[in-house]
Amino acid sequence: MTEPILAGGEPILAARTLSKEYGTASALVRAVDDVSLTVNQGESVAIVGPSGCGKSTLLYLLGGLERPTAGTLALDSQPIHDMPESRLARLRRHAVGFVFQAFHLVDELTALENIELPALLAGASPSAARERARDLLEQVDLSDRAAHLPSALSGGQRQRVAIARALANRPRVVLADEPTGNLDSAATTDVLRLFDQLRTAGQTLVVVTHDSRVAATADRLISMRDGAFVDETRLTGGSARSLTEITGLEA
Amino acid sequence: MGRILLIWRLVLGDIRRRPVQAAMLVLMIVTTTTTLTLGLALHKVTDSPFARTRAATRGPDVVAQIAPQSGAVARPATQFASLLRSGQVTAISGPYPFSIASLTAPGIDILAQAEGRDLAPAKLDQPALTEGSWVRPGGAVLESGFAASLGLKPGDAIHLNGHRFTVAGVAVSAAQCFYPVTKPGVIWLTRTDAERLAPRAQALGYVLNLKLAHPEAVEDFAFGPIGNAFFNQPSNEVVTSLQTWLDIRHEDFQVISVDEKGLLISSSLLALVALATIAVVVGARMTEQTRRVGLLKAVGATPWLVAAVVLAEHLLLALLAAVAGVAAGKLLAPLLTDPGAGLLGSPPAPPLPATAILIVVAVAVAVAVTATLVPAVRAARVSTIRALADPAHPPRRRPWLIALSARLPVPLLFGLRLLARRPRRAALTAASLTIAVAMLVAALSLQHRIDVHDQTNAGYLVGSGSVADRVSHLVYLLSGILVVLAGVTAMFTTWATAIDAQRPTALARALGATPRQVGVGLTAAQLIPGLIAACLGIPVGLGLYQAAGGHLHEASPPLLWLLALIPGTLIVVAALTAIPARLGATRSPAEVLRSD
Ligand SMILES: Nc1ncnc2c1ncn2[C@@H]1O[C@H](COP(=O)(O)OP(=O)(O)OP(=O)(O)O)[C@@H](O)[C@H]1O
Ligand SMILES: [Mg+2]
Repeated sequence: MTEPILAGGEPILAARTLSKEYGTASALVRAVDDVSLTVNQGESVAIVGPSGCGKSTLLYLLGGLERPTAGTLALDSQPIHDMPESRLARLRRHAVGFVFQAFHLVDELTALENIELPALLAGASPSAARERARDLLEQVDLSDRAAHLPSALSGGQRQRVAIARALANRPRVVLADEPTGNLDSAATTDVLRLFDQLRTAGQTLVVVTHDSRVAATADRLISMRDGAFVDETRLTGGSARSLTEITGLEA
Repeated sequence: MGRILLIWRLVLGDIRRRPVQAAMLVLMIVTTTTTLTLGLALHKVTDSPFARTRAATRGPDVVAQIAPQSGAVARPATQFASLLRSGQVTAISGPYPFSIASLTAPGIDILAQAEGRDLAPAKLDQPALTEGSWVRPGGAVLESGFAASLGLKPGDAIHLNGHRFTVAGVAVSAAQCFYPVTKPGVIWLTRTDAERLAPRAQALGYVLNLKLAHPEAVEDFAFGPIGNAFFNQPSNEVVTSLQTWLDIRHEDFQVISVDEKGLLISSSLLALVALATIAVVVGARMTEQTRRVGLLKAVGATPWLVAAVVLAEHLLLALLAAVAGVAAGKLLAPLLTDPGAGLLGSPPAPPLPATAILIVVAVAVAVAVTATLVPAVRAARVSTIRALADPAHPPRRRPWLIALSARLPVPLLFGLRLLARRPRRAALTAASLTIAVAMLVAALSLQHRIDVHDQTNAGYLVGSGSVADRVSHLVYLLSGILVVLAGVTAMFTTWATAIDAQRPTALARALGATPRQVGVGLTAAQLIPGLIAACLGIPVGLGLYQAAGGHLHEASPPLLWLLALIPGTLIVVAALTAIPARLGATRSPAEVLRSD
């Protein structure tokens, strides 16, 4: 995220007629229904829609955490919809960073240890992983909380640690599912500011959200209903607007 | 009423939500109550068999025999007279005539001591039937050890000195040791039949049973003036012998005590393990309940309702399982008690009384409830927020382990951190696996002792259905039960751990671990306690065996067998973990992570 990347570059994610069904017969749920989407390098995309419309499912599909029932999906130019699980895992390490609504930090690890975890899992040396984690902690402005356990952090701080963790392996794309869903408005502002920084730095981002303020930080806004895209807006100069303007708060 | 309905609904809901766990708990309690019932039944058999036989057959205090020297004729009236004159004798039975006859049947040709008896029950030494009916003209009753050794049962045809007889029954007696300790084996006929067998009167000997006023002073009687007078008969006429009930008991014990101890070790081991296992299972289950308790309280449940739900659930499961287990135990008990009874030459053990069954059920339920009670009360009293925020035991943080594991390959990093996260669970796993290994070691020791016993007595205990054969049969059965119990214990703990590890597994995969890495990590997390358990289980098992009365110095199992248990345990644990580990490794992480 430090090197500048041109918006509108190569496609990082390319989904064609993607579908995901759960259950069978009368209990069949078509959570994602025939969705096509291309996300280019450096782009930031927000997906909004009512509860249960399939936003999380789509995000898990895009990140390769869930398999589509039909359709094709390319991540970083490699088709992943039928890629063997272990190859997919290795690709995912460097291609995707996840941020969850429920944070999903490891309770018994400190903030710093949580952030270095993906690097360790990807086989980085302990010292390299540690160094990277310190950098990220500084970027999310939590250097003084390095040794704190998640239980000793506020909600906004936890989510910032989770975002830093998602960035640990310098992923091509960060996928965030309701990153502010569990936060109050002050904490939301912290996280929003961070996303804004990421977008400016050229990090590719896909954010699922209920929150219009989060949606407003994106370049593109996609609306979903019943598993399908119903509307797509290119936010004019989303990057040009200041955070203050978007949030209505003093930054 | 509404409250009871609510509790009922919550209980059913929880069981339905986690059916595998409920099934596991039921399975454990069924297995343990079955073994407990078997243990009790076995105890009934092994509990002082001689005393029971003596009581059931009105056993004599002294058994006097005269056998004529070649050419002479035994004269019981005069030759027993010295004994009968004694004021200490309060009752007698006999003298009964006997002769040594050759017993033949298809595949059998052996000597037997055929004794003539009255049809009416005797005041002293009335053999107790374990099968069939008492003597009748043409109908013979065989001593139980003898019958088992020859494989004869009521209805079979035999020939005694060429005369045809039908086996009418099988009985035990406390007037002599069981076959093959007493040789030749004893067979009872009517007086007329017994006298008819003797080729000539010279061949008949006589048995006289005596009851004394002071049975405990029997040795004074036998070795005092009265006994001496009996022994000092003109030696060219008869051979005399005088056996006291203490002699008979002693000889019986020579053989039985070894085997009885084996049975006792096994049955006490079973009972011990059974109780420990229930406690382990309920404890493991309870650690997952606290979060649910928080939810209940958050929606307005009182602490007592919460405790009631938790208790009711385990009470229900334990009760169902205990009843099923006792039923299974009663069905299986004859497998153990029948050979056991024959083995010990005692009448069959009385069926387990209702109170004993009630005790088994009560103990199983009490252990389950006690194990639940502490966490239930704690759950009821814990603050709602804390319960919601964190499970019963918040994961432990071991900074040095986290730092150390960062330097290890990914599967070990993951496995070690999983282990460190739930040290108590790991200890529980290690403990129950230790019990399992210890049980195996004890079973091996028992089996090995039988092998050694078999070899040293090879020339002595012949024929199919010999004592040794029947003991090994029993030991195989017991070892089988122990191994099943051990397997179920190990399986439960590995499953519980794998289920507990679901979320960290899903998270590790979302953060970039491959399925293989988490699979190997999950297995490693089990192998570490498995290794500890294997190393601890061997001395613990030997100790248990020794403590229960086994003699390691006589026959300790070969070192190689014991050492083989270590890799064996690890292989079994790895195999048991493989399925849940695979599930954890391949299940969609999204599904696990979103259910929150
Ligand atoms: N494992 C599953 N089995 C069956 N149905 C499922 C499963 N997971 C999700 N669904 C269904 O798929 C649909 C889409 O779910 P999804 O979680 O993607 O919605 P969402 O848009 O993220 O909702 P929210 O905004 O509330 O998070 C829902 O109707 C849900 O009930
Ligand atoms: Mg969602």
